[in-house]
Amino acid sequence: MTKYIIKRLIGMIPTLFIIVTLSFFIVRIAPGGPFDGERALPEAVKRNIEAKYHMDEPLIVQYGRYMFDVIRGDLGPSYKYKDYDVNTLIGVSLPNSVVLGSMAMAVALLFGISLGVLAAVRQNTLLDYIPMSLAALGLSIPLFVFAPFLQQVFCMTLGWFPTTGWFMNDAPVRTAVLPVIALSFAYYADIARLTRSSMVETLRSDYIRTARAKGMKNSTIIFKHAMKGAMLPVVSYLGPAFAGILTGSIVVEQVFLVPGLGKFFVQSSFNRDYTLIVGVVIVYSVILIVMNFIVDIVYAYLDPRISYK
Amino acid sequence: MNKFNNANVLLEVKDLRTYFKTDNGILKAVDGVSFTVHEGETVGLVGESGCGKSVTNLSIMRLVPSPPGKIVGGEVIYKGTDIMTLSEKELRNIRGNKISMIFQDPMTSLNPYLRISTQMIETIRLHQDVTKQEARAKAIRMLQLVGIPSAESRIDCYPHQFSGGMRQRVMIAMALSCNADLLIADEPTTALDVTIQAQILELIKKISQEMGTAVILITHDLGVVAGMCDKVCVMYAGRVVESANTDDLYENPMHPYTKGLIASVPKMDGSREERLFSIEGQPPNVIDLPPCCPFHPRCNRTCEVCTHAYPPVKKTGDDHYVACWLHCSEEEREEALKAARKGEN
Amino acid sequence: MAIFRKKEIATNEFDQVIVGTSLTKEAWKRLKKNKLAVVGGVIVIIYALVALCADLLPLYPYDQAVTSHRNLRPSLTKTAGELMMEQEMKNLFFQAWRGGRLELSDEEDAQIETWIQQSKTNNVWDLVYARGMQAIEEGTFEWNSSEQRRIDNLLEDIETETLITINSVSAPVDGEMVSIEDMDYDTILSLYAQLIGADIELVSQSMYNEVSAAVTNELRANDSSLTGEDLTAAVEMEMDAMGETAFQNRAVQNIIGYIEQIAQRSASSDINSLITSGQAQLPYRGTFDLSNGLHVELEVSRVHERRYICGTDYLGRDLLSRIIYGSQISIAIGLVGTITSIFIGILVGALAGYLGGKVDYYLMRFVDIMYGLPYMLLVIICMAIFGRNIINLFFALALVSWLTIARMVRGQIMSLKNQEYVEAARSMGGSTMHIIFRHMIPNSLSIIIVYSTIRIPAFIMQESFLSFLGLGVQAPYASWGSLIGDAVSSMALYPYKLIIPSIIMVIFLFSMNFLGDGLRDAFDPQSKNQL
Repeated sequence: MTKYIIKRLIGMIPTLFIIVTLSFFIVRIAPGGPFDGERALPEAVKRNIEAKYHMDEPLIVQYGRYMFDVIRGDLGPSYKYKDYDVNTLIGVSLPNSVVLGSMAMAVALLFGISLGVLAAVRQNTLLDYIPMSLAALGLSIPLFVFAPFLQQVFCMTLGWFPTTGWFMNDAPVRTAVLPVIALSFAYYADIARLTRSSMVETLRSDYIRTARAKGMKNSTIIFKHAMKGAMLPVVSYLGPAFAGILTGSIVVEQVFLVPGLGKFFVQSSFNRDYTLIVGVVIVYSVILIVMNFIVDIVYAYLDPRISYK
Repeated sequence: MNKFNNANVLLEVKDLRTYFKTDNGILKAVDGVSFTVHEGETVGLVGESGCGKSVTNLSIMRLVPSPPGKIVGGEVIYKGTDIMTLSEKELRNIRGNKISMIFQDPMTSLNPYLRISTQMIETIRLHQDVTKQEARAKAIRMLQLVGIPSAESRIDCYPHQFSGGMRQRVMIAMALSCNADLLIADEPTTALDVTIQAQILELIKKISQEMGTAVILITHDLGVVAGMCDKVCVMYAGRVVESANTDDLYENPMHPYTKGLIASVPKMDGSREERLFSIEGQPPNVIDLPPCCPFHPRCNRTCEVCTHAYPPVKKTGDDHYVACWLHCSEEEREEALKAARKGEN
Repeated sequence: MAIFRKKEIATNEFDQVIVGTSLTKEAWKRLKKNKLAVVGGVIVIIYALVALCADLLPLYPYDQAVTSHRNLRPSLTKTAGELMMEQEMKNLFFQAWRGGRLELSDEEDAQIETWIQQSKTNNVWDLVYARGMQAIEEGTFEWNSSEQRRIDNLLEDIETETLITINSVSAPVDGEMVSIEDMDYDTILSLYAQLIGADIELVSQSMYNEVSAAVTNELRANDSSLTGEDLTAAVEMEMDAMGETAFQNRAVQNIIGYIEQIAQRSASSDINSLITSGQAQLPYRGTFDLSNGLHVELEVSRVHERRYICGTDYLGRDLLSRIIYGSQISIAIGLVGTITSIFIGILVGALAGYLGGKVDYYLMRFVDIMYGLPYMLLVIICMAIFGRNIINLFFALALVSWLTIARMVRGQIMSLKNQEYVEAARSMGGSTMHIIFRHMIPNSLSIIIVYSTIRIPAFIMQESFLSFLGLGVQAPYASWGSLIGDAVSSMALYPYKLIIPSIIMVIFLFSMNFLGDGLRDAFDPQSKNQL
């Protein structure tokens, strides 16, 4: 097991390397630079600024320098927010995004798995139809429709929740409710559908028949015998789900004005704030890769047939 | 005289009917099957694939997946109680404890995500009031009994670490770990190599004799039946067409289908030039069968009534029953024909 | 196989079919049994037909902005003029209430105050309008003279104003009449310069200024925090990034607009005299010749008699038309994107699966690494940096979405590789390509088709997501995402702008998902627990 983990850890390096390289070059190759607008500046000053940010060096040297900095954990200064460095900007906003994302994931998993199992066990009853129609809705309503809709109904019309604010910045905790619901809905839908179908499939399998022939109770069969196998597709879905929640949080943060990383990301793309873009992408990728890694480990733990070699 | 008499009847299946709802109509997988199993007796259930052997046995345990399947009628009397009327809880007490099953495919019948020890210990503790250690000791004993080498260490393996034959041994050990009265073996050797097949059958025979367990052996292999069973029921299209003691059946088959089956077993003493006999045609699809003998298109002795009514079961000898118009009297045939024609008009 | 083609159904003695129908037929049968999937399929077909025939439908042009028709609510019965009048009266009644001339009960006053605090403007308007109309009927309220004048003026405008829609403008180029829409930048520039009698250099310069002004506005709309120096910088960056072709495209669009304006202006007095003299009946359709040999085909209608079933947007464009043309773009991107990604996916997957070995190893490692990328973010970067147009959008999406298909096809091919018929083909000397494309791909096609039906909604969602962020389809074009994105900021005041496109989009995605699920269950019953 340890060997497997180490191997997977080493395997993460090329992915990270590719991400950093790709985003670095995409951003640099693109026309237009962060200081191009300041033409009014005297040539000398401009050169000074560029020298300060090492932009006068050849691209490959800049790349090497940047790589070296990233390995040390320094994402460099922001080109646009002049007095901040990327680490500070990300450090301020990342916790909000991480909390939002993990709460959404937790909610999606909790409801998705429990309702999915329920639907599978009580097939073709109301307990099946209601969660599954909800899931069908979740699958078809895009986040950017659902989030404004929630805001319109629960903030504007009913007035149950404040329209803006975020509970980590001295606002009441209920400000978190709508963003979390909005973000988790689509993933609830996927997880519930996946859980249901794989549970139904598992319950039909031969080894469940064996368990029934042994005289086991239904609940024991479901939770002890079927759960592990049925959870495998759900676990392998979690990797893409994390990626989706990362991108989804951009919309949610915009609609509910959560001071998270997503807003920064879109803004820095418009501003061509190179270091900030690459920094945000690296942070997102690290989160994603770590999550994929955890998912793989959990999968290997659940399925004894996976060899660790 | 038969060593099995009415006093020690273990299981009696009476007119069992299990239907499946399919897109094309109602599939009568089991349509009025009756037979009895005595204590310690080995009964063979023989027939081509799709004739309802497996469904019969799943129905006995009430394990037919529902929907689409449904047991629509009949009784299964185990030691005086009708299994069909038991509550879920009472039923669980019988499953695995009094009647246990082993299935066709040992590759998929064991839970791949749980250790063998977990699966065996939970079975033992489910039906017997023992501690975990005792259950484990018993499980190891059972594994040794079925011939798993170094059972103490192998018990903590996962199923995928065993070969097919070994897994079937584990299944047998698990099935018999609660000293069941009846073991239902659903084609236990079909998925295995020929050499392993013989070992597994030998094992079932040995253990059932040692433990006094009755066995229902489902198979399509008449050779297996001859070697193992006291009694044979031949099934065709969801019904038992002939049942008799093994020796009686082989010596004196009554139903044309049974005759065909026996004739199609290759004989070691037959000359090589002789062509192997085979029954022409295919078994019918049991959806929307007209009222007739389902075997008549493949039968070489069809008469008119065969195409109009299903034959009644006739006793033709000591414990020998057959459902064929050939063994009915002329009057009975005429009468049935008349009734059938009347029904049609 | 011959038996199937001749439709001879083999039966046994019990009249039971003994030869199974083909897999596809069975699948169709299963699909037809699935009511939801059938309904979904029908809805999808209706959407596709409407989107395809958008040009034939009697719609107002999706990019025609009528300034006085901004933000009109949807109405089946009332014309634009009536709605304008209603809105004007609502304003006047509200002012009258503020000024104390329209008297309401104390409760209603209090209610209005709370509504104003909650910024529920629509409720306030509706209430004062209802009460005001009631008061006029009862004779307890009368318009004062200035209000009356405003109403009369508006009424006059509504009755007389006409809208001249230019259908096409053509000009002689080298002796042939060419539509200005087909002209290149230089030709149209010189034509326009000639038309207004100005120097080409000057016109060219002013075009540049206009485009950059438009860019400034767009940037401001995207990011309100940009000011002063930063804004100028951003604008210049954007202009540089745009490149020559993109700039010329925008300039050409502007010039076409100007020429049409000129044509409109010159035509309007003539047309009006025609109408007042009774020589022409509205709506009028005809041609008109301008100086410089410009030939104009135009249509004149009473602008305020228009009806907007779905209302209008903030520029006075017909929302129904925008939604339908938006559907065209959304569905097209979904389809084309899916097809492209499937094409790439099949190619990579088939090669990896069939060749195996090192090729397979490296291709699949590459796919694995790509899987680890937060690819939506990379798409966002690409869109933000390389320009926001449909082509870029479509490439960015297609380039990252072939991964799953490739994996699937590879798996499929690997399992087919060992099938007897492939060995047979190989033993008969079939080439690798022949075996892959004649034997293996057709056999995995059903799974691929099923998967692509499931992919289309995902693609549409991604496109809409980008458009929502302002990174996808750009004005004057619309897509579902951009319509929704535009509506979010004003959803309290004009909820219909958000609700209608959302419902249209959700219904389509819903149907598509049901159809996809149905197809998957029908064609590939084994793979129920894949997404």
